[in-house]
Amino acid sequence: MDYKFVPSVCPYCGTGCGVLFEVIDGKLVGTLPNKTHPVNEGKLCIKGWNMHEFVNSFMRLKQPLVKTFGRFMKTEWDEAIKITADRFKEIIEKHGPDSIGVLVSAKITNEENYLAQKFARAVIGTNNVDHCARL
Amino acid sequence: MQAQVEQWLKEGNVDIFIGYKNVDGHVIPHFFTNENIDEVKDLVVGQAHYSLEKIATKVAADHPDMKIGILLARSCNQQALHVLYGWNQLNPNQIQTIEAYEASSDPAFDLEQPEPVSSYKQKMGLEKSMAPKDVEAFDQQQRFSRWMYEFSKCIKCYGCRNICPVCFCKECSLEHKDLVRAGNLPPEIPIFHLVRAVHMAGRCIDCGLCEEACPADIPLRLLYRKVDEIVVDVFDYETGTSPDQSPFSVLGEKVVLDPVPINE
Repeated sequence: MDYKFVPSVCPYCGTGCGVLFEVIDGKLVGTLPNKTHPVNEGKLCIKGWNMHEFVNSFMRLKQPLVKTFGRFMKTEWDEAIKITADRFKEIIEKHGPDSIGVLVSAKITNEENYLAQKFARAVIGTNNVDHCARL
Repeated sequence: MQAQVEQWLKEGNVDIFIGYKNVDGHVIPHFFTNENIDEVKDLVVGQAHYSLEKIATKVAADHPDMKIGILLARSCNQQALHVLYGWNQLNPNQIQTIEAYEASSDPAFDLEQPEPVSSYKQKMGLEKSMAPKDVEAFDQQQRFSRWMYEFSKCIKCYGCRNICPVCFCKECSLEHKDLVRAGNLPPEIPIFHLVRAVHMAGRCIDCGLCEEACPADIPLRLLYRKVDEIVVDVFDYETGTSPDQSPFSVLGEKVVLDPVPINE
């Protein structure tokens, strides 16, 4: 028997509400708003309240999928990254770097967003960077 | 308080104690056990309002034989326990409590500290600090339009139900597809809020957690205080003051309303 509450931040949108995850014997079973968090002050939306459901969902993607002959096939990370890099090289050679755009996310950290734009500008060579929170 | 908890855990009077601990500057609910007895020195009384009783019902559902200790940081915690005993959600013989009330954390104190209210809300809606009699001072049309304004802000987060210490039904009417249609915002008003209000009769202990959790600033506590008022007037039952069962736990002898088919 191991009960605990783990403070965390909601991964859904860019607001960044504070939550407490209710963990029983290593399994996430509930979500509560963090009452003292300066962002949400003890309130959550319906998505935030039900975060534990997607973590335990059987439909959750746990490994990369590569589309081969019109179907998604499970693969390993190294393989998936290699395939993506090869296709990027092909596309850039044929159509130029501006044929690629990078969409970053509110669900990843500031630092990861920085890395993504750096990747777009320095590696691919395009300024096509956008963000889902800039609606 | 800490010495008492340590003694209880060591002597096996309680298997688990639900209190508060400061984690990274946030005072959050924490489970203290004999295995990590050193942590008991970190036990604090939280100023933030969490429902430790509701957490206890989840523990009791998993482990019915477990002896649970609960920190009571506000007077409403004890009232919530009474309601949960009355509805057989917790067994009073399995529960030990420690009282550590502070006047400034009492639900009645919150009502005396009104928050600033915008002029628009003053004109269109109802203020949290109002008493049921203040609302009754408006004429019927005003009253209805002001409540409808408040309900229309609902984003259907179910926070009021999820946070409520005395909401424990496995099947919730608010998720019944024939009563509340899915996919619409606001939900069907005023039915959505009134269904919940009716279910709060004989259960609501006026702790104010629903109102604190509401992102749309709906004065839910005011609504349920009116319901509580009716329960006192009609049934002479003061919710949570004793572990007696509420008048609504007794089934009537016959149905007095004619059944009406639901129209699609």
